[in-house]
Amino acid sequence: MQNSSSSSSLMVKQEFFTKWKKGLKIYSAFNKEMTIMERKRAIKLSADVAIASTRSATTQWSRAVVAEVSSSAAGAARIAAEEILGRKLSTERRKAQAGKKIVRRRRKAAARGAVRSSAAAVAKKVVRNRRRVLKRLIPGWKKLDEICLIKETLDYIASLQVQVDVMRHLANAGETLHHQQILL
Amino acid sequence: MNTGLPEMLHCLNSSTSENCEMSVLERQRSRLKQQQQQLSQNHPPIPYFNGNDHLAYSGFHVDQALSDLVLNGGAMKPDPGVEHHDFRRFMNSGSATTDFQMSSALPRTVSYTAAASVNSAPGKESCKKRKADRSPKIAAEEKKMKGCAEEESKITEQNSNSKSTTTTISTSANKNSKGASANGKKASDAPKADYIHVRARRGQATDSHSLAERVRREKISERMKYLQDLVPGCNKVTGKAGMLDEIINYVQSLQRQVEFLSMKLAAINPRLDFDIESYILKEMFPACPPAMEPDHSHLQFNTSVEEVSGSGLEMVVDPMDATLRRTISAPITAQQSFLNSSSLNQIQQVTWEDELRNLYSMEYQQGRSTFISQQITGFLEANHVKLEM
Repeated sequence: MQNSSSSSSLMVKQEFFTKWKKGLKIYSAFNKEMTIMERKRAIKLSADVAIASTRSATTQWSRAVVAEVSSSAAGAARIAAEEILGRKLSTERRKAQAGKKIVRRRRKAAARGAVRSSAAAVAKKVVRNRRRVLKRLIPGWKKLDEICLIKETLDYIASLQVQVDVMRHLANAGETLHHQQILL
Repeated sequence: MNTGLPEMLHCLNSSTSENCEMSVLERQRSRLKQQQQQLSQNHPPIPYFNGNDHLAYSGFHVDQALSDLVLNGGAMKPDPGVEHHDFRRFMNSGSATTDFQMSSALPRTVSYTAAASVNSAPGKESCKKRKADRSPKIAAEEKKMKGCAEEESKITEQNSNSKSTTTTISTSANKNSKGASANGKKASDAPKADYIHVRARRGQATDSHSLAERVRREKISERMKYLQDLVPGCNKVTGKAGMLDEIINYVQSLQRQVEFLSMKLAAINPRLDFDIESYILKEMFPACPPAMEPDHSHLQFNTSVEEVSGSGLEMVVDPMDATLRRTISAPITAQQSFLNSSSLNQIQQVTWEDELRNLYSMEYQQGRSTFISQQITGFLEANHVKLEM
């Protein structure tokens, strides 16, 4: 139903928004003066951690985002992330996730001895390349097999849409206020 | 029942695999249409998203929900324990979902059940057992009889395990014989298509690999369909390569938008506090759902998706100029009237900010209908229009 979809997406948006602001507050508490690049990085990191935490580690990409932040972040970033997630981040290297070993498939083309230039083979190759490209876009792509790839893509796209939506509205609001300020 | 037979013979006689799959799906669709027509009068709207729980989130209630969904013809209340907003967002149905949507949706879930059950442990074991027993063509007839009998006995059972065995039984029974599959199909058609048949194509290798491969491919194509609905512009392209291309472009554009927006936000706010804007946004968020209640009680799948995806496209268009013009004119003229009636604020900001805040709050309290029509800020309008969809 429209209501449930809009209300549930609103819930996600709200949750993302509150978590994001929480992270930003920590940043502003740490440094009063930040360059624009630092601010941008702060905003982006908080937003990423916030949107990943809305999935509460059910999806591979959200886990990968959190793991990447926990391994590379330092100082204010780390504390902001911890605050958003509500838990301590582990500093050690990512442990091997259980049950997601990807077995590299041996290239069967040579074994088959089929004509490589046939249309079907070319199409398959194209599809395979594109799948690989798509896979690389999703965070935590190393642990995705083909079926999970599509599932994760679905979830990731939806979350990105939420993120972009909230950020865009915030940017619009900020910009209109800013322009009002200039005009008045 | 009889409708199944010519299709099946057609399937058996056809040389291509695609026709077979299509006829399976078509058969399922027609059956489910009948089901739905029968049940739609008596039962509440089919919560289609419930059957897709497993799609976005691993596993709980999968077999239960799916078996219920299928066996009851999809007429069941949503599972209250399932509280996942994500799939609701992009997988929805209401009382007025079209037949096409439902019948295209249910076969997907239905075939996924086949996949789930075939891949589950009991399914696998029974699958292997059946194959071990069977010697081609000799035991085929016996299998057929057994298959039919078991299918009929299992008609009354409402169990996901029975469903999986039925699936495998029908699978194995149908593999090598021509007539056997016809009868097996017919018997299973009788209980109005509660069971999913994963049939290997005629002449195909019947080992578990190709069967699993086929199931896997069906799963993938089913999920690609969901992706197709989520990504705007994917409907126009057919074929996996084009769709994947669109999806890649979309994901990349979303990621770039995040970067751009975070840069923009960094540029706007020198202090990284979003209290002002969040105040406005907070008013939007909780208030919109109640305003939406008198509106649409049903929604088609596509429109809900468009609502979500339309927001992504808006960014490209960048309606900032238009919104600016609107915003400049309205608040300035109305400020004076609101100055007197506004409530006191404790936040020590520039006065114009206070006035604006009051403006928004007063506007909102006065009447949502007027709020909608006045369109004070572009983003509010965009948000509202989006939700109204």
